[in-house]
Amino acid sequence: MKDRGFLLVFIFLSSILVLFLTVPLIKLFLSVGFPNIFQTMQDKEVYDSIFLTLKSAFYAVVFVCITGIPLAYIIARYDFWGKSMFEAILDIPVMVPHTAAGIALLIAFSNGYFDFIDTTTGIVSAMMFLSAPFLINGAKEGFKKVDVRYEYVARTLGANRFRVFFSIALPNARNDLINGALMMWSRGLGEFGAVVIIAYHPMVAPVLIYDRFNNFGLKYSAPVAADMILVSVCIFLAIRFVNNRVKQ
Amino acid sequence: MLKVKNLFLKKGDFVLHKLSFEIKENSYFVLLGQTGSGKTMLLESIAGLQSIEGDIYFNGKDITNLPPEKRNFGFVYQNFLLFPNMNVKDNITYSAKFKKIKDKDELFDDLVDFLHIKNILQRDIKHLSGGEKQRVAIARAIYSRPRLLLLDEPLSAVDPTFRNSIMKSLKDLIKRYNITILHVTHNFREASFLADRVAVMIDGEILQMGGAYEVLNEPKNIKVARFLGFKNVFPTSILGFNQKDKFFTVDPNRIKFGDEKKEDLYCFACKIENVLGISDHYKIFARVGDEVFFCKVHESVFDGKILKEGDETNIYIDKKDVTFI
Repeated sequence: MKDRGFLLVFIFLSSILVLFLTVPLIKLFLSVGFPNIFQTMQDKEVYDSIFLTLKSAFYAVVFVCITGIPLAYIIARYDFWGKSMFEAILDIPVMVPHTAAGIALLIAFSNGYFDFIDTTTGIVSAMMFLSAPFLINGAKEGFKKVDVRYEYVARTLGANRFRVFFSIALPNARNDLINGALMMWSRGLGEFGAVVIIAYHPMVAPVLIYDRFNNFGLKYSAPVAADMILVSVCIFLAIRFVNNRVKQ
Repeated sequence: MLKVKNLFLKKGDFVLHKLSFEIKENSYFVLLGQTGSGKTMLLESIAGLQSIEGDIYFNGKDITNLPPEKRNFGFVYQNFLLFPNMNVKDNITYSAKFKKIKDKDELFDDLVDFLHIKNILQRDIKHLSGGEKQRVAIARAIYSRPRLLLLDEPLSAVDPTFRNSIMKSLKDLIKRYNITILHVTHNFREASFLADRVAVMIDGEILQMGGAYEVLNEPKNIKVARFLGFKNVFPTSILGFNQKDKFFTVDPNRIKFGDEKKEDLYCFACKIENVLGISDHYKIFARVGDEVFFCKVHESVFDGKILKEGDETNIYIDKKDVTFI
């Protein structure tokens, strides 16, 4: 009986949050209607914008996989002077206002050495700056969960440091790495504040939604928003499904 | 074969104090020590997994700065650490990806047969018992054809009913695979069964080293005696000697009660503090001055004496049963 009361209270409180998180999305899809969602998807501007968003977020994830995973491994495996401070610095992008991050990136990189303003490079940089900590932190936690002695054993069996990393550390931290990459990617998809400062054009989906809302109102921006959410959720679920199948 | 010279390592609270010892080829060397005495760290140092001061030589060659993958030493940890992302067979053959293994197919078949793991080769390591994990970990290490096998408490996570058979298998590894074994444990029964030579390590220091029988039966140090479970460790002043900081020990089974007085016996007046009946024998705690002797008396001997708590009597010990520390 006591358990039942406890569960009822917790389920009630949880339901409030679940409803808050899902109702706006359901309402968006219902108000736009699926015929309208699919029709908007065929609009070249919308299609290009969603594709650009997915592509830029993916590039950002790839770049941080190559550079951030070694960084996460170093943090997870080694103690060094100022490590806590260093970790805090890596988390700063999560805390700063996104428009401020956009301004900082603009000042740092719009120096004429490479095309930054209104380019895919600029968009990728903005997404990467603000979402990289999600992948780095995910990978760091993943590596910490892998007992370092697995790597020791592998070395006594003849594997050098690189081979140990690729055959032991990486596969055993895989779930956290994929979760971190998905978090970073999805965070990148939604990036608006920093992107809009650096590259209004070509328009990523969040900028297009904002642009249509400003110029044509809710009726024209809502289908684009619904399309973007639908595509993101489908890709997100597909990756999780594939990961779970591989795990089995 | 393996020569460790002045090995020093400090890591957190652990310190290895300038350890020096040698292990002969094709021998079984057991390093005995309490939990937390630095045994695992010593094995990791020998395997090249810790940065150390001092020197390590193998077959006369200085290997102190050689990376672990070039030393060709096998390592089996206490909890076996089978790679979770591989099944049993892939775990065993992992080393074949990185080095050339002589007669690897014959070796694999022989290991599978010797360690009785044929029926679990395709199994996920999550579904193995402690004993199975241990056999797979040993197979994985031996498959890499190591020159020296380092075993870190390999029997502590194994069901006690299988320990004897596994100990026999461990002993057989030396001849069968032409290797040398360094085994660390806190269990001196393991040491007495397995070891050709034993070293006792306490708080990062090797306090005694020698033949297994000698070390386990004739401790040279009071810390070693206490660690090895010697019960009656007392200062020699009780026996009438004047040397300070000298101790002796006597087996609880060798202490007798009665009034017998002979030249070759030590005899002390005592007061019985406690008598515990344990199936076929009695445990008796007898106070002699400031010390309490622990004695084990077989039922048949004890029955006639009718000793009970508070009785005053004599204990006597044959001089040949006294071991000086």
